[in-house]
Amino acid sequence: MNLLEIKDCTMRFGGLTCVDKLNAFVGENELVGMIGPNGAGKTTVFNIITGVYNPTEGDVSFIGTSVIPFKPYQVAALGISRTFQNIRLFSGMSVRDNIRVSFVKNLRTGYFKSILQFNSYISEEKEIDKRTDELLEIFGLLDAGEEFARSLPYGEQRKVEIVRALATSPKLLLLDEPAAGMNPTEKVELMNLIKMVKDKFNISILLIEHDMKVVMGVCERILVLDYGKKIAEGKPEEIKNDPKVIEAYLGETH
Amino acid sequence: MKNKILFISSLVLIFVINIFTNSLDPYFYTILIYIGINIILASSLNLINGYTGQFSLGHAGFMAIGGYLSIAVTTYFAPFFINTFGTGVFGESVSFVIVLLLGGIAAAIAGIIVGVPSLRLKGDYLAITTLGFAEIIRVIIQSLEVIGASQGFRGAYIFENGVKAAQIPADLSNVPFIFYSVPKYTNFFWTFTFVAVIIYFISNLMSSTYGRGFLAVKDDEVAAESMGVNTTKFKVIAFVSGAFFAGIAGALYGHFNLYLNPEDFNFLKSVEIVVMVILGGMGSMIGVIIAAILLTILPEFLRGVSEYRMIIYALLLIIMMLLRPQGLFGIKLKPRKQT
Repeated sequence: MNLLEIKDCTMRFGGLTCVDKLNAFVGENELVGMIGPNGAGKTTVFNIITGVYNPTEGDVSFIGTSVIPFKPYQVAALGISRTFQNIRLFSGMSVRDNIRVSFVKNLRTGYFKSILQFNSYISEEKEIDKRTDELLEIFGLLDAGEEFARSLPYGEQRKVEIVRALATSPKLLLLDEPAAGMNPTEKVELMNLIKMVKDKFNISILLIEHDMKVVMGVCERILVLDYGKKIAEGKPEEIKNDPKVIEAYLGETH
Repeated sequence: MKNKILFISSLVLIFVINIFTNSLDPYFYTILIYIGINIILASSLNLINGYTGQFSLGHAGFMAIGGYLSIAVTTYFAPFFINTFGTGVFGESVSFVIVLLLGGIAAAIAGIIVGVPSLRLKGDYLAITTLGFAEIIRVIIQSLEVIGASQGFRGAYIFENGVKAAQIPADLSNVPFIFYSVPKYTNFFWTFTFVAVIIYFISNLMSSTYGRGFLAVKDDEVAAESMGVNTTKFKVIAFVSGAFFAGIAGALYGHFNLYLNPEDFNFLKSVEIVVMVILGGMGSMIGVIIAAILLTILPEFLRGVSEYRMIIYALLLIIMMLLRPQGLFGIKLKPRKQT
């Protein structure tokens, strides 16, 4: 069974069809890229998967359960986590607290036990701290832990967003243009980071990206969207030479 | 741990200071109690407006519910309390804590009723809904004969034939009765013990996962939801906790003033509490406490220039907002470093 299965998914906003009868899947421990020109509906697909939008038609299932009736926080609890196209860190909180928010999913201690600081609360906080430290160390962010998330350099903020998403211990990670706004050196680092995340945490990744070097460099399989329709799917080399893809990106007479 | 030490030492301090407050001038004593009540109100509203970023304008409504319910219970059930717990210091303390908590619980229930539907709204809409709620509460109280309606509530008449009322009904003017006025339970010790307990609870809450959830909701609801935070639930938790504490503040106020009038809880009271939170710096516990103290004392200092009092008060607020828009102790975020 595939981890994520999108079946005949259509999303209409009034008269505008953003996603048109999309069929796609993400397998276990697979790194899939989703590309397409601006306005092709890539982020909309993310929003459908994470429960922000309910598709007009079709179904999205995650390990056999349909995610359609769930709200975003419930989808997160199922094991799908995401980053955002424009960084959406909690700017008023430290990097460490940004990550600690994600552990809310597994929260065991109740409200009154937290207020009265029962032992179970203290031990749970310790565990959260320990896991936060582990994550920060893996990503080399230990020194930045106490800084305001917003005061970090752009590339680091992207990294923190990925760490925050990973802290929810997802099975599927959705990355929305992780390389946007990065310089070439940062992009190379990011590619290594994505590969490392996939292997180390043994998760699947679905990635939206405009930067072809990044997409071709890390993805095992690529989906190409244009006007909400899937126009091509395959290995990076196949996509590179697909006439439909070239047409979508460059126009007919190039 | 640091919180716990601070909490216990402040309780000891309150106990020690309490011994000396009996010799205090009644005028200063009153101001001292109002400071305590305002600290509770401001820090509980700070939980909603400051930490969770939901702009509520209805705090006076919760205060009214807590205040009225608690003094109504104290007076209407006075024989019950006297029979069960006696009239000693211990018995009175037990009765007082019970009615305080009842006031808080009533306000919390009102918080759930208002919060669950209206916290789906954002910004201005929420402010208007909560403002409307507080006005509804006030108007309901104004028309409830059993708690004195628009004349205010001083205590309960319990007639020999079993009738209980806030005023003497015309047809019972010849029946003997006992009048139970609101007992003056609120003193320095109880007020500041509750201040300490509430501040301790709020700081514990804010350092827990719940507190981080509140801050996350304030910063970015979409992101918080994607990280697994049930934003509606967290907003309701913050709102209901704030309402509970406001209810306790109202109960303390009722048992100090010994008389409540619906006009005590009008729109201006809500605004006054919001001003404390904004002036102190949204989401800064110490700032809000200091603002609550300053804004309680300031009008007293300005009594000498009574006719210009409100003008100076307003001017000070405007100057303050121009000079420090983030509030006394608000955190100004550092600008983003360029890469």
